[in-house]
Amino acid sequence: MLNRRTFLAAASASFVLPALAAEEGLTLAFIPQENPEKLLGDIKVITGWLSEQMGVPVTGFVTFDHAAAVEALRNGDADISFMGALPFVLAEDQLGAVPLLSEVYRGQPSYSGRVFVRKDSGIETLADLKGRDIAFADPVSESGYIYPMDLFVREGLIADAADADSFFGRKFFAGGYQQAMQAMANGLVDAAGASQYADLLLTPDQQSEIKVLAESEQIPSHAVIARPGLEGGLRVRFTEVMLSLNNPENRYLLAYLYGPDGYIAADPEVYEGVRETARRYGFLK
Amino acid sequence: MKHLLASAVICLFPITAQATAIKEAPWAPRAAAYRHTLFLGNLSPIPWEKIEASWTGAVPGSSLPDAAVSRANDEEAAALYSALQVQDRQALFEAATVIVAQGMLRHLENADARLGTPEAATELAKAETLYRAFEDAIRAADEPAARQLGRAWLILNSSLGSGGVLGKGGQESNKAEFANARKDISDYIRANYLPAEFATRDKLAPVPETVFLSGQEVKLPATLPPGSNIADQSELPRLILQFEEAGEDEANLPLVAYGDMLFDSPEIFGGPAQELGIACSTCHNRSDINREFFIPGLSYRPGGMDVDGAFFNPMFNDRKDDHLDTPSMRGIRFTAPYGRDGREPSLRRFIRNVIVTEFAGKEPTPFQLDALVAYVREFDWLPNPQIDRAGRLTDKASDAAKQGEAIFNADFPGLNGKSCASCHTPDQNFTDGLTHDIGSSEPPFPGGTATAFETPTLRNINFTAPYMHDGSLPTLASVVDWFNDTRKLGLDEEQRMELTAYLEAIGDGEEPYQRFEGRDSVFRLSWEELTTFAATLDTLLPARDAQNIALLIDTVAPDLAADASVMTNQEAKPEIYELSAILRAVGDASSEGDWGEAERQWQIFKTMQAAIDERMF
Repeated sequence: MLNRRTFLAAASASFVLPALAAEEGLTLAFIPQENPEKLLGDIKVITGWLSEQMGVPVTGFVTFDHAAAVEALRNGDADISFMGALPFVLAEDQLGAVPLLSEVYRGQPSYSGRVFVRKDSGIETLADLKGRDIAFADPVSESGYIYPMDLFVREGLIADAADADSFFGRKFFAGGYQQAMQAMANGLVDAAGASQYADLLLTPDQQSEIKVLAESEQIPSHAVIARPGLEGGLRVRFTEVMLSLNNPENRYLLAYLYGPDGYIAADPEVYEGVRETARRYGFLK
Repeated sequence: MKHLLASAVICLFPITAQATAIKEAPWAPRAAAYRHTLFLGNLSPIPWEKIEASWTGAVPGSSLPDAAVSRANDEEAAALYSALQVQDRQALFEAATVIVAQGMLRHLENADARLGTPEAATELAKAETLYRAFEDAIRAADEPAARQLGRAWLILNSSLGSGGVLGKGGQESNKAEFANARKDISDYIRANYLPAEFATRDKLAPVPETVFLSGQEVKLPATLPPGSNIADQSELPRLILQFEEAGEDEANLPLVAYGDMLFDSPEIFGGPAQELGIACSTCHNRSDINREFFIPGLSYRPGGMDVDGAFFNPMFNDRKDDHLDTPSMRGIRFTAPYGRDGREPSLRRFIRNVIVTEFAGKEPTPFQLDALVAYVREFDWLPNPQIDRAGRLTDKASDAAKQGEAIFNADFPGLNGKSCASCHTPDQNFTDGLTHDIGSSEPPFPGGTATAFETPTLRNINFTAPYMHDGSLPTLASVVDWFNDTRKLGLDEEQRMELTAYLEAIGDGEEPYQRFEGRDSVFRLSWEELTTFAATLDTLLPARDAQNIALLIDTVAPDLAADASVMTNQEAKPEIYELSAILRAVGDASSEGDWGEAERQWQIFKTMQAAIDERMF
């Protein structure tokens, strides 16, 4: 669920330099999303709770972007990071990062990318979008670009992402799911590529006026990942404590962690599809 | 069920005509202050202090606590302060508009200069959040321009490029495209929001200057200022209907069911209330209250507002900024007279007063009033085992509460030799049905007579904070303190604690909030209620009552479709849209007098309703 907001929010965040990972503690790297000022407050709450539960000092800091988070994991400035599926498989490839937990939304640890159109557009198939305009969220968004675009590739309508401009009238990156969806709903473009539930970012009236044209395979949801050298006991303890966020008495804390419905233990196998897609789109060799 | 649904939807547009209230994305401080300025500047009299506060402090609905004026440059701020000082409405409009427009242009310029760096995206986003202050008016007044500008923002975002993920998948920025799109937007903003001279505006609104000068009539959507909240209370009160608790089905009581529908229908109101989707139930959630209802400028605090101001019905504007706390309607049939000042002796007259005078609706028909009265007369209090039928504490009450009961019934010189119970009569549901001047308001002029207020019931008051007619006291303990101080009751700390414990005992109620779990979702409640409303067609169609059928369908069909947005079972959403369309077809046929077709569509509706019922959660 990486989008341009991630990218731009980073620029205005107050960056806190990480302390060297405490010998007996944990340091968490957070990637800014909507509101970096809120994130700083959230980190304080969540690391305070984690420290209490784990009995070791837990600290957190905001990274500039995914690359900085991965760099922090590489050099030991961070032990744990929160990360989308695509940057995770890159981090796994580059330094052997390990997935610990997956976020759960609406009962699922995964989501899809969809292509949405207005019901009154007369568009019935992906092929109907030839010569028409489409808005995606962001060039590096899994569900807001890569997976919806892959639907066109799999249909044989385009050869690859670079070929998109020969198919569409015009392809835009609107800056986020909501912007892409609004552009479609308001008739600025004919279609939007965005995450499975991006229609919920529209007004209820707009929601009744649009439909799903196509849906991608499932994408593993955001993960909580660890650097490879993190001591096994700490890793297990951290995972246990994080899973206890699913307990009713702790659920309020999820709002301080990007707001998932809960977590499950990560299964490295579920990323195979992402690895394969990343290879096809040149993110991985 | 209007506004039951505080959904997860985050809307980028101002709160405007929607069948379902939605959460609004926070505004940039300058954009929020600007929209507050327009809303407040159109009130009469103009609340100048509130306008100033929206620029100089944290403003409701803003994403950040920063004072909006701190983001203006010195010249812009000076013009704003000058307008505020001399209370010049037109100058204020101009200064505020310039602050937003210039701010937007500066951010665009910064984005251009930093293209290829992450800062460009930040600056562009800031410019776009300021554009939002004008966007709805541009769309209403100048659709081609709104479209062209919308495309320009898409081009700007697309031209930013991307750093990729961990160095992979990056894209170059496109300077030429960015510059062109920036010019399109900047030229429009300069021409329409930074003219050499602004024309004088009777109504403050972000209508583009060129459109305004053309004399073209512009129908702007009714909007509320940022920070408004007309969605239902997040903890939805539990509704106790007498017939329902006694085992009767509402579908068998068509008059009550129709009244229930009207209680949730904005169609009976007029003006901005109707357009904004405000209904009786917006403030009186499930017969109780909505402690979160808030409209900046009209509400001093959440849970009420000035109902006789300039916004909803200018004819009824008393030109006094007098916030009223929303009273609960639980047990309303037992608590006459009505209105905080007890001005209406009957429910029928009071309901008519709300529809016509407060919210500018048309005169309701006798049938509609009958239906509304029939419905609200069914509201009962939450059961409370701590009191018996005579309002005496039972064994379930605490010792402290029992001590408090004695204090409540004791006579005090400060109460003219009476007791709390003299007015809050326990065996009359803790009210005497009268009005009293207890010193909670000031006379309108020296030597004048202060307003007397009706004695409120104390049943279920644990869930209706804040207290007093204006909601000025936050807790029951503070109410006890207020009486102790103003009436010199002489209660020590322990006695005050006991009296508070007593109030909390008689004010309690079982299961005060609706519980949602699994398939018993918010949508399920809405589904059951809306289909019950629709069931009145079984009575209205044979009666060939086209007028009330139209009102019913204009309320229920859009609500069904809109409420689909909060379904847990999102996969079943398209079925709701289909069902809503069938209901529309009933209304279309009925309005054309094609009763055979109306009956046929209604049968299709009922068949589909039964077929999809299990998936409706």
